[in-house]
Amino acid sequence: MCDVSGRLVAWMDGELPENEAAVIEQHVRACSECRDRVVRYEEVSHQFASYYKAAAAMRTRKLPRWVPVVGAAAAAAVLLLALLPRSLKPVPAVRQVAVAPPPVAVRTAATPLKPAANHQVAAHRRAPRANWAMAQPAIQIAIPAEAMFPPGAVPEGVHYIANLSLAADGSVQGLRLQP
Amino acid sequence: MSGDSFPLNLPLPRFATDGREATTLFRELHNPLLRYLAGLGLPAEEAQDVVQDAFLSLHKHLTGGGSQQNIRSWLFRVAHNRARNFQQSYARRFGEPLDPVFDAASPDVTPEQAMLAKEKFHRLDQAIRSLAVQERECLMLRAEGLRYREIGEVLGIPKSTVSDTLERAIRKLAERCNV
Repeated sequence: MCDVSGRLVAWMDGELPENEAAVIEQHVRACSECRDRVVRYEEVSHQFASYYKAAAAMRTRKLPRWVPVVGAAAAAAVLLLALLPRSLKPVPAVRQVAVAPPPVAVRTAATPLKPAANHQVAAHRRAPRANWAMAQPAIQIAIPAEAMFPPGAVPEGVHYIANLSLAADGSVQGLRLQP
Repeated sequence: MSGDSFPLNLPLPRFATDGREATTLFRELHNPLLRYLAGLGLPAEEAQDVVQDAFLSLHKHLTGGGSQQNIRSWLFRVAHNRARNFQQSYARRFGEPLDPVFDAASPDVTPEQAMLAKEKFHRLDQAIRSLAVQERECLMLRAEGLRYREIGEVLGIPKSTVSDTLERAIRKLAERCNV
């Protein structure tokens, strides 16, 4: 094996100093064995990149799709109203104001969520934690983004839907943000 | 691969004030970070959490007067370390390599071609599985376009170790895949 063979990948990646790269380049021009290695390394690099990106895409595709909304607070309010049982009075939508209003909390009866309309079912299916949501007493809290994060923490133009998982005793089990 | 002049070297003092740079950063790096975390074996939902957490940490870092240099490797490092925290609860999954991906459903592919492609993929899959964790991590970060200096910052290893690790990993893949 040639002396330069341990630096071929770094040379291919443009990671060597100029003078060292020139030496490797000169050698590769003259050495058919190293030329062959470079071709093979480029091929396997390409194969790895394709494999990695395809596999990662497959995993991330498992995420449920979320519909972009105007704002996190509005989204939380819409979600809250859509999931409320019909027997309950609707809760007024959370205002989007400069000063964050207090969180609006609604505790429903300890019954599984049963959205009435088809579009509500579809929306509910998009929830990533539908299993726990349906198995536990339904509790939804609408919290405006301003009350959850410091000013500027949520970049302009980026909105989230917040899913809050609560235990039966009211303690928070988990908070999940979906862009 | 991109050069050292990473396009996201932005006037980040404005990061916390008007959010425009933050939005650009988020859009440019959200998917690469998700892809890397999925490649590490993190389940999709946890990967989303880790990425969001990393961006919130970046906000705190910058508003707290932290360095504005090497933001890309900073974000990857935070995400990488957060992902490591999941290793305890996902010890088995975390150690798994990338999911096998093969799509033989294309109408342009003959059964023979599909079989050959599947065998080729299987060899690559086995070869990638046989690599050391650090070798896979280096390869994934390289596939994301990070420079060796950045990969070293993410993984906490010297640049020379990154170079040696990548050379060794690619040589192994080429040998084991008969490329």
